[in-house]
Amino acid sequence: MLHVADLTAKILKNISFTLKEGKNLTILGNNGSGKTTLARALCHLIPSESIFLEGQKISEIAPHLRSQAINYVPTTLDVYDEYLSVSDYLDLNCLEGGDSRKREEILEVLEIEHLKDSPCQSLSSGESSLLLIAGAMLHRARYTILDEPTANLDQAKKVKIYRLLKSGSYFQNTIIITHDLNLAYKLGYNVLYLEEGSVRFFGSCGDFFDPTHLETCFGNAVQNIGGNFVVNYDEVY
Amino acid sequence: MKYISLILSLAVLVIAPFFGEITLNIQEILNSASSSSMLFWEIRFPRVIIAFCSGAILALAGLVFQSVFRNPLTTPFTLGVASGATLGSALAIVFFGGLLFWQYALSFFGALLTVAVLFLLSRSLKSAQTLSLLLVGIALSFFYSAALMVLYYLSDFEQSYSIVRFTMGSLNIVGFDTAYPIVIVSLLFLVSILWQRQPLRLLLTSLDFAFLKGVHVTRLVMSLLLITSLSVAVCVSVVGPIGFVGLIVPHIIKLLYRRSSDTLIFPTFFYGGIFLVACDLVARNLGAASDIPIGVVTSFLGGPFFIYLILHRHKGSR
Repeated sequence: MLHVADLTAKILKNISFTLKEGKNLTILGNNGSGKTTLARALCHLIPSESIFLEGQKISEIAPHLRSQAINYVPTTLDVYDEYLSVSDYLDLNCLEGGDSRKREEILEVLEIEHLKDSPCQSLSSGESSLLLIAGAMLHRARYTILDEPTANLDQAKKVKIYRLLKSGSYFQNTIIITHDLNLAYKLGYNVLYLEEGSVRFFGSCGDFFDPTHLETCFGNAVQNIGGNFVVNYDEVY
Repeated sequence: MKYISLILSLAVLVIAPFFGEITLNIQEILNSASSSSMLFWEIRFPRVIIAFCSGAILALAGLVFQSVFRNPLTTPFTLGVASGATLGSALAIVFFGGLLFWQYALSFFGALLTVAVLFLLSRSLKSAQTLSLLLVGIALSFFYSAALMVLYYLSDFEQSYSIVRFTMGSLNIVGFDTAYPIVIVSLLFLVSILWQRQPLRLLLTSLDFAFLKGVHVTRLVMSLLLITSLSVAVCVSVVGPIGFVGLIVPHIIKLLYRRSSDTLIFPTFFYGGIFLVACDLVARNLGAASDIPIGVVTSFLGGPFFIYLILHRHKGSR
């Protein structure tokens, strides 16, 4: 169970919610609304006393136990060493040493086997996103926060990641940050909608995507066409 | 390429003690009564050992600082740690007659004080951390050299001369007594960095990444900086501030091996040592009357070679 009790940090104001075991979450919100800040606070990258994992304050959990409990996947891959390769990076994600069989399997699932020996710094932004996801699949924390995992991917890869999340076989509990309303809708996770650092909505996917509620959040910038949410470029509000 | 450089390096190590103002041969050395034997065992051999250990410490310190601060320009020299140690040593020369104990103690203090300042600042600096740190390091270096000027001003002629010679870097050391501390420190340094290899590898991605994999980042960074700065302080108090080694050797090794830095701990240590032994060999044999200061040679030899490597870095094969 993940419990947030009145979190106030940086731009975040009085955020409280509880995510029960086995429940996933989608975090939505405009640019600068505090989604990434919230994610970083959840995994203690921003220190706070308001996050509880299974009833224990995250600041009091030993670092190696915390790493098994929660992991955060940023939007961009940050690797300083210019010679660190993709397989090196993946090995570093295995908390108990490298597991080459598992690594090969995940490389195959994400179709990036051919990049195995490339330096991390040479990857394109889409390839980097896939590598980040692969890393999180190997890390396998109880809670994995994915920050815009599909933003840089082509359409086919987006579908692939969607299916992967839906299958639930590689991640335990997932918290996903996205701007892709379609993805959020299809995943059907509970939704937390942030506005200027505060929780504007926290509830089921169905309630969030209720047409009247959706309009209060996005005006008519979003249209529902045949069960798909499309950005309405003609309508400026 | 790697094997050639290894063989060349070993050759340099073996021949280094034989050449100098007087060229020695093996028969003379084995005759323990001869003056050549004494010259070899009391002066040349300890000198090569000290050169090797100091070069090794300075190069590995550069590699560690570059990895921890995630910036290819950071070394104990560019961040002012070595300048702090130099000022400490100079203080010992002026106020304690250059007693070795005080030279060690004040060098330590100078290096530690600098690291403490850098560390405290790095916690309050938020974005563009390492760049601001480099600027702080440069500011600290200027501050220390101003303090060094004050020392020149206050000291008498003889002391001034000692300080000047000291800041040029010198391997003029007699006997094994001065060699022991630096040998021990260099080995301890190597072992403790090898010991931290895995967490260091995680740092080579990013600090956040290491944190999420369960590394106690603050503790790790602090201990790495502390160990490195103390080793550099010992090195500086014995041989003076020999610049440039810490900056260029790690880069040369990276270009040569093309592997991630955590796998280069030993090569950097080894070739750092060889580099300084080679520079010392040149310093001892070029000057007619006396040795050229070692710091001059490291910069003269290292600079052009470094620029050559940078220009050719993309042409080499993996």
